Amino acid sequence: MELIILTNIFQSLIDSPFYRYAFIAGICVGVLAPLIGTVVVIRRLSFIADTLSHFSLAGVAVGVFLAKIIPPSWFGLDPILMGVVFSVAGTFIIEKLRGFYKNYKELSMPILLSFGVALSGLFIYLTPGISTNWTTGLLFGSIYSINARDIILILSLSVIVITLSIIFYKKIVSLCFDEVYAQVSGINIRLFQLAITIILSLVISIFLDLVGVLLISSLMIVPVAAAILVGDSFKNTIVSAIIFSEISVIGGFTLSYYLNLPTGSTIVLINILILLIIMGISRIRKIKFKKDDDYLTPE
Amino acid sequence: MNIKVNNLTFAYTQKIVLNKLTFAINSGDFLTIVGKNGSGKSTFIKCLLKLVKIADDTIFLNDQDINKIQRFQNVGYVPQRIEFSYEFPITVSEVLSSAYLHRKDAYYTSVINALDLNTFYRENVNTLSGGQLQRVFIARALLNHPKLLILDEPTVGVDLENIKGVVKILTELKKQGVTIIISTHEIEYVRDLTDYFLSMSDFGEYRFVEAGKWN
Repeated sequence: MELIILTNIFQSLIDSPFYRYAFIAGICVGVLAPLIGTVVVIRRLSFIADTLSHFSLAGVAVGVFLAKIIPPSWFGLDPILMGVVFSVAGTFIIEKLRGFYKNYKELSMPILLSFGVALSGLFIYLTPGISTNWTTGLLFGSIYSINARDIILILSLSVIVITLSIIFYKKIVSLCFDEVYAQVSGINIRLFQLAITIILSLVISIFLDLVGVLLISSLMIVPVAAAILVGDSFKNTIVSAIIFSEISVIGGFTLSYYLNLPTGSTIVLINILILLIIMGISRIRKIKFKKDDDYLTPE
Repeated sequence: MNIKVNNLTFAYTQKIVLNKLTFAINSGDFLTIVGKNGSGKSTFIKCLLKLVKIADDTIFLNDQDINKIQRFQNVGYVPQRIEFSYEFPITVSEVLSSAYLHRKDAYYTSVINALDLNTFYRENVNTLSGGQLQRVFIARALLNHPKLLILDEPTVGVDLENIKGVVKILTELKKQGVTIIISTHEIEYVRDLTDYFLSMSDFGEYRFVEAGKWN
């Protein structure tokens, strides 16, 4: 039975470019999202991924609106590219907004998120002939809409991010552990912060099509949240997060293929299931260790 | 590494913390900064490390204005504590190897051995005691081949045995000609090593005296 199931999905991967592209993109997001997510979680920027994805959605909505009302020969801009522009611009806007507050700097993110949602709503409403399927696809992802051009973009981004992570690994660890020491030892904190947020916004906008605005930050955060509970070193935590993420991607593809479920949501739900299992195991281990400690403690 | 501080003034919004601070120490000198909490000890260290903006021509390292130094070299810094969530797993070896941008060599091993870190080298930092963590921070600072070592309250939360260990290391570094600046409440441990005391009090008032004239 399992063999038949596997044969079917493998056959689809071989026969259909849609499945193939979606699968390759899924594998890439399975590595990239937790890789970047680790830095995002440690630097306490978890909410920034959500904010940027919502602002990026506004970019896509504006892009689609412009593409509809202006003839392509005048303005041949890809809506996703507009999403990238908005997402990168969002990082700078957050930085500017933070400057207005001393103790409530995090307000910058809900402000931008609300702005992004409002802009998206407005431009989706203003764009003539927009379909509900299209909007749902942007919110929850439409992984099978990926084409050969998207795959090249996703693979290039994956190679760039993985290469940068390997080259700057020591500096990233140093910066994540102790920002002050990193600064004293000569690491340009502002440049690094900028690079991290720009890479984050690029990843968010490029994967927007794949998993949707509502799910993209979950792919970055949830595997890392599980990995923190099992990892005993920085490297192990990243590797565990990538393993959890890939299990979710492959499991999500398989389940959604046979049960005809939305792929993005299935991937995220498997991620959440893994997190819950890890939390359960971690709680049991803690109780066990506590019991052992009690046993060992002399009266 | 010699240090010259010239008319350094620093204020947070309304409150003056450093007021026309002026003094100089030579290479290999040991400066102990004392003063109650909020007197400006940590602020001075922040100025020295360029963690806050200061006016030009107010602090010189080896006769060079620190505002003109792009990247510190041979400066080691030992923080009192760090703003790190210990929930995130990271091992001692990762903390140290990330601070050492070269390949691990004999010097790296000698620092690990000198601070006796082998027993917990592979441990997660969140399992370490205050004293062990302090040794890790000192090791990290030493990996930078410091000619200037700055320590911010290194004895806080550290037991007596570990304090003695830290003092032993500082004595050795002083012998090697490293300039050392330490901010502490517990001067008895470093009194014998100290060449100068910088005593700081409210509103930027200070006293800079030779150790022999300190009482």
